Amino acid sequence: MNWTQLAGSIVAILVLAGVARLLRLGESRINTAEDARRIAEEMLAGFDAHAALVSQDGGAALVAGNGAIAVLKRHGAQVAARRLLPPLRVHPAVEGVTVETGERLFGSVTLLGVVDSDVRGLEASLTRV
Amino acid sequence: MQLPNPVDYAVPGFILLVLIEMIVAWVKDRKRYEPKDTLTSLALGTGSSVAGALTTGLLYGLAVWLWQFRLFDIGYAWYWFALCFVIDDFAYYLFHRSAHRVRWFWASHVIHHSSQHYNLSTALRQTWTGFISIAFLFRLPLFLIGFPPAMVFFVGGLNLIYQFWIHTEVIGRMPRWFEAVMNTPSHHRVHHATNPRYLDRNYAGVFIVWDKWLGSFEPEREDDAPRYGIVKNLGSFNLLWAAFHEWIGIAKDVWAAPGLRAKLGYLVMPPGWSHDGSRDTSEIIKQRWLAKEQAREGAEWKKPISSSSGADQAERRQQAG
Repeated sequence: MNWTQLAGSIVAILVLAGVARLLRLGESRINTAEDARRIAEEMLAGFDAHAALVSQDGGAALVAGNGAIAVLKRHGAQVAARRLLPPLRVHPAVEGVTVETGERLFGSVTLLGVVDSDVRGLEASLTRV
Repeated sequence: MQLPNPVDYAVPGFILLVLIEMIVAWVKDRKRYEPKDTLTSLALGTGSSVAGALTTGLLYGLAVWLWQFRLFDIGYAWYWFALCFVIDDFAYYLFHRSAHRVRWFWASHVIHHSSQHYNLSTALRQTWTGFISIAFLFRLPLFLIGFPPAMVFFVGGLNLIYQFWIHTEVIGRMPRWFEAVMNTPSHHRVHHATNPRYLDRNYAGVFIVWDKWLGSFEPEREDDAPRYGIVKNLGSFNLLWAAFHEWIGIAKDVWAAPGLRAKLGYLVMPPGWSHDGSRDTSEIIKQRWLAKEQAREGAEWKKPISSSSGADQAERRQQAG
């Protein structure tokens, strides 16, 4: 690889990423609690989903399962998941709550239209199952 | 003899095909591409080329040094190229299988699997640390057999080019005879999938026959659509994290592991292995999934069978009445 090829590659990368953006590729959302439960079970081995809370914007969800809570976040056109043990670290956000995952690069997850008591209710459901 | 690097000539074609696939995605399914994911994949690809350029000289030197101990004198006739291509592809199969079964190798290879999308840009998502993971070990026997280094590197480039087009959801199935012998988009979708059924299957580069002969083949099923990525998806488009996350994971695990045996385990055991059994390897995930499937099938078996059976019983009751 020479400098011309490197420069050409960088230009091509930017053009292709720009085209993907221009075409508005990659839009998606978690639509329903049923969606959230299915995704949690698919993404986390051995997870049996029960109740779920879905962010109003479809960008995140919390799913109660066997002894743990799955936190889902929209990641590009897909969803990324983590398994967290209660009690979750939750703090209020504008029009919702933010859940800390404890991973800096995964980041925290904000659920719109969900309040602290909803999250605590979801946690409590784990002991009822 | 000097041979060109065929990948250099293929790059403009790669770019054009990615562009075409994006337009198809725009028409058919916009979830197939994501701008940040594409940017990450392509930047990883460029970084991989730079890393490759920095280490090619060393590898070529090693190859030439080994070649002086060759068993046979092999020339540049076309059939030697063909034979070299086939043997190199088998070496690729062995490398690739190891890259999924030994964490040290996986730390380098995981980069290619870290996208949750499956499109042509994923093909270009390549490692920066191939040299550190000593992936080139698997190719060394070819030099000792007697294949000239220039030939081996040339056919290796062709192998890489072949593998580009199989990273797509645009193509469903190829003709039956082709699916039987060659690696195809369908076979490789299975390889990139995290569905328990598909984990650690279809390691082939060009010829799928290696998987069929060595027991690692799994066909794609209509009722189990592939879900792409890795067991613990990154959840981040950070370029450096994508490039180095598994190496960092290894370093942390080795540091914290009690005793030499456990430390070594975190280097050479399969991804997901842990000294206290607290994590899941692909075998454990498969076993758990199988148990769940069997339990589900058992429950279905015990249920009164479907509405049609119900109708039959009703019919019988009417007849009896």
